Amino acid sequence: MALAAVVLVDQSAVASGAAGAESVTDRINHATEPYDSMRVSTAYELSVKTVQSKEQYQGGDFKVLARKDQISRFRCSVCHNDKPVLIQNGALFTHGDVKLNHGLGNNQLTCNECHSMGNRDFLVDKEGQKIDFDHSYQLCGKCHFRQKRDWLGGAHGKREAYWAGERVVRNCTSCHNPHSPAFATKMPATYSLPLDE
Amino acid sequence: MDSRTNNEDQIETEGMADNKSSRRQFLKKMSIAAAAGSASLVVGGCGGSLKTEEMGLKWEEYFKEHYRLMTQEEKDATVKRLERLAKLERGIDVQMSNQEPHEQVLYGYAFNISRCKGYMDCVEACVKENNLDRRAKTQYVRIFEMDPGKLDPTAGDGQFFHEVPVDNKFYMGVQCFHCENAPCIKACPTKATWREPDGIVVVDYDWCIGCRYCLAACPYWGRRFNWGDPEVPKEEINLNQHYLGNRMRMKGVMEKCTFCVQRTRKGKLPACADACPTGSRVFGNLLDPNSEIRFVLKNKKVFRFKEDLGTEPKFWYFMD
Repeated sequence: MALAAVVLVDQSAVASGAAGAESVTDRINHATEPYDSMRVSTAYELSVKTVQSKEQYQGGDFKVLARKDQISRFRCSVCHNDKPVLIQNGALFTHGDVKLNHGLGNNQLTCNECHSMGNRDFLVDKEGQKIDFDHSYQLCGKCHFRQKRDWLGGAHGKREAYWAGERVVRNCTSCHNPHSPAFATKMPATYSLPLDE
Repeated sequence: MDSRTNNEDQIETEGMADNKSSRRQFLKKMSIAAAAGSASLVVGGCGGSLKTEEMGLKWEEYFKEHYRLMTQEEKDATVKRLERLAKLERGIDVQMSNQEPHEQVLYGYAFNISRCKGYMDCVEACVKENNLDRRAKTQYVRIFEMDPGKLDPTAGDGQFFHEVPVDNKFYMGVQCFHCENAPCIKACPTKATWREPDGIVVVDYDWCIGCRYCLAACPYWGRRFNWGDPEVPKEEINLNQHYLGNRMRMKGVMEKCTFCVQRTRKGKLPACADACPTGSRVFGNLLDPNSEIRFVLKNKKVFRFKEDLGTEPKFWYFMD
């Protein structure tokens, strides 16, 4: 028991010492060696489909959640080919649920500002550059460049399931509906009671 | 009968001769001998061998060491006992871990007050993950609805229940901040709470005496007390547990957020961060210059709650 007391007292001394000698901020700033988070062996492969990102973050390559296999009836060129398409069929099969609410006030975007007229299997930016659906961050980032910078670094958006292991982050369209990107109002999942009543 | 007498002699001489052997150790051995003795009487009667096993396990649990003084074998043994007791008492197959911290890891958290919308999915996920008392509605995470310009949750509404987000309000989440210089640790008279090397402040529920000094010492209202035996429906109990984390608590002990130690030491995000639909919660290794949390600290406007107290919380708020 005497031994116990000695060992246990030791930590509170260390704890108070940590504040006096070196604050946690100092300790963080002094840590410049990248951590190999692959050594956390239990951070395993995800069940969701991912693709290698075309850009890099501060730690190098990373992956994003795939988008194309989430789009029902991809590829779009199955319908959008040389043959004419009836508008009512389009509304019936795929586009009926699209409510466009992207942009402030009267500056609403239209379909063709993101979707390629020439090749419906791709998105397109203002310079006519084709952009893959899996890499929509390249298109979103053209306007939302601040969000994209934060997303690349990790201050916007979120990682999928693991803090360690290979970096897998959600794509823009994993969380935002590209046609109506603002989050909806809804009831909270639960509520709280007063503390310590 | 001979062997038993010898055994008792041995215990006594051991206790007398060796000054380092503690009173606790001595009592433990005595009690186990006594339990074994009374057990042999009971068994003949009503076939309660399971009851006997349960009683024996409880005796051993009662006289075990403080977690930080246990050898690895003792840690493995107590986890085994607790798994078996969960089976005997509740009929559930718990997988309890005593996984040690990773080296070169210091966990940190950042909360984006301009993104949180008050959906409270984090609170719900935390309750389920950590087997929190459903009857008393214990919650580790609290979300406050705040007026612009206020940065102290005491000025906010912590009990809102209406459509969120509300215009011209923002939402601020509060939980245990896992201070590097934690006042709760200093207040504990039995050293039942301490900071692990990876920065997580944990409680050994079996050493907590329920005095609630830590609750009074915490300036952030981060701790929760079990006034009664926690109630969780059997089918809702999370079976993936950690000795220092979400294993079932009992009446009269303190509990708190553990950054989901049972998840994070396996490389997973804490349940709250994983559940957040808005990406307001950033979690990671503070000692890794490439981590998301370090990006936030370097590139965003950050502040900590009551920073002037010198408690060094590892939980930052930031805004876009």
